[in-house]
Amino acid sequence: MGITIKDVSKAFGTFQAVKNVNLDIPTGDFVALLGPSGSGKTTLLRLIAGLEGLDSGGIYFDDVDYTYKTIKERNVGFVFQNYALFKHMTIFDNIAFGLKVRPRKTRPSKNEIAEKVNELLKLVQLDHLANRYPSQLSGGQRQRIALARALAVEPEVLLLDEPFGALDAKVRQELRHWLREIHQKLNITTIFVTHDQEEALEMADTVVVMNNGEIEQIGSPEEVYQKPESAFVYSFLGRVNEFREPERVGESEIISYIRPHEIVLRKISQGNSIISEVSHIHVIGSTVRIELRRHDTGDLFEAEMSIEQYQNMSPVKKGDILHAEFKNIVVFNSENKITHLANSGIRNSLKSKLI
Amino acid sequence: MMVRETTLHAKDVKTTFQPVLVTKWLLITIAIGFLGIFIVVPLIAVFSEALNKGIQLYFAALTEPDALSAINLTLLTAAITIPVNTLFGVLAAWAIAKFEFRGKNILITLIDIPFAVSPVIAGLVFVLLFGSQGLLGPFLEANNIKIIFGVPGIILATIFVTFPFVVRELLPIMQEQGTEEEQAAITLGANGWQMFFRVTLPNIKWGLLYGVILCNARAMGEFGAVSVVSGHIRGLTNTIPLHVEILYNEYNFTAAFAVASLLALLALLTLILKSFVEWKTNKH
Repeated sequence: MGITIKDVSKAFGTFQAVKNVNLDIPTGDFVALLGPSGSGKTTLLRLIAGLEGLDSGGIYFDDVDYTYKTIKERNVGFVFQNYALFKHMTIFDNIAFGLKVRPRKTRPSKNEIAEKVNELLKLVQLDHLANRYPSQLSGGQRQRIALARALAVEPEVLLLDEPFGALDAKVRQELRHWLREIHQKLNITTIFVTHDQEEALEMADTVVVMNNGEIEQIGSPEEVYQKPESAFVYSFLGRVNEFREPERVGESEIISYIRPHEIVLRKISQGNSIISEVSHIHVIGSTVRIELRRHDTGDLFEAEMSIEQYQNMSPVKKGDILHAEFKNIVVFNSENKITHLANSGIRNSLKSKLI
Repeated sequence: MMVRETTLHAKDVKTTFQPVLVTKWLLITIAIGFLGIFIVVPLIAVFSEALNKGIQLYFAALTEPDALSAINLTLLTAAITIPVNTLFGVLAAWAIAKFEFRGKNILITLIDIPFAVSPVIAGLVFVLLFGSQGLLGPFLEANNIKIIFGVPGIILATIFVTFPFVVRELLPIMQEQGTEEEQAAITLGANGWQMFFRVTLPNIKWGLLYGVILCNARAMGEFGAVSVVSGHIRGLTNTIPLHVEILYNEYNFTAAFAVASLLALLALLTLILKSFVEWKTNKH
């Protein structure tokens, strides 16, 4: 089922959580609502589910006006951040809940319910846990049961609020992969909320970047990463060095950015490069992050390279002098228009700041 | 060397722990002694006094018509008070725990009023409202409705005094649980009743039972508020505590203690149920 959101706004008291949001989600899409906390992404998700009422605008499911439909009528599956499993019910009863509360006319028989529940338990690979209680399960298992429960009512839209937020890194990685698979198998329109850019880029077909209640950019993971439309998107979607040009009279401050992996470090001077001193080296698995201090301005910035590149130029140690070439400086002007500067004179006056 | 070191160490441990041990047993003795003097001894006194003229007299005191009528009235009062306060307690706790609204803190404070004021004042408030000199007195008299010095007054006063028990027990439980499970139930297609009976109620049932037990104990044992509104009409508007008072004032000690022993038994039963519920809740 496709979802269209037209000019939707929602305020909590004086706090404007969602501002004039427009969004078109085609059937079967896998969408990430990505943004920092307070950006309105969870509110937008809850508005789609009907868990919050909107102040203005409209929500359409396949071009049918759903704005004032009840939660029940929307037939969405919602997975809560903390799973919200029914503590006093077994896993089996949790999953069966949505079928058991149906009015008698549409309620499946006991056997049909049992069949459906077992099928779902197999789908989430936890059929051996049917008679346990939620408190006896690990976080990752609870998350899968929460998903199975939401799928039991055969929703046409699946909504997940920070689905992996409460899990440790390894389980999170496994579940991302697994959720992708489930989506491929069922091909049900899925929207999930996350503040983790890696998660959004890795899982989603479409990434919706939100900030301050507004949508900053909509696009494929590649688009939003490669062609960010605003400074916010650029800096939110990855590590970034921020450079501020000293303010001049009558002009607004120009901020330019460069990603750490777009900085090339050499031991000998070549072309336009800046002399910098290594102040820290972090080896994080397969990547190496090097913190440097510019000799001209004294500011810190960060460069990133693979472990192979690092080993090829080694030995590098704290206090070494390196030449840094800034390959792809990005500048956003006041209209958020982007300019790529491969090689620019700007940089001599740049004041850098590490984010 | 090794051996000497360990013995030294053991000695150290002993000396440092001795004062702690002394404190521990001192505190336990004080606590038990206090409870013994103020609770166990009186309890034994009640039963020994009640039974000291023989078992026949004990039962005679309980089965004479006025006593039976007092027992009946107490049971009736509890039978009406408990469902009413359970219902309103759940509603109030629900409203406070699950919704945000203006004046929430005022509502919580209002709920605590029966705990804060003397029951005698509570009784007087009802006399002022419904008594013949009271605000609604003329209206009630014109319509031939008798509240004060009658059973309705006793029930009203009891409801007032015991109102906070259920709310106070439920509120923290419901606040802690939040609304996510209920929201999950709704997104899965449950209607309001299904959500309440299948999700909310099972989550609060032990807390609710605990509140009901305490509410019942107080409803049956309430003296002050009921005393003001009842009018002490023998066989008509006397509850068990009022009946005990009357018997005592008439120097009919054996009968007074016999009837009082009923309340003491009720207290013991309440304690047993209470520990059972607590044990059940912890197991959860």
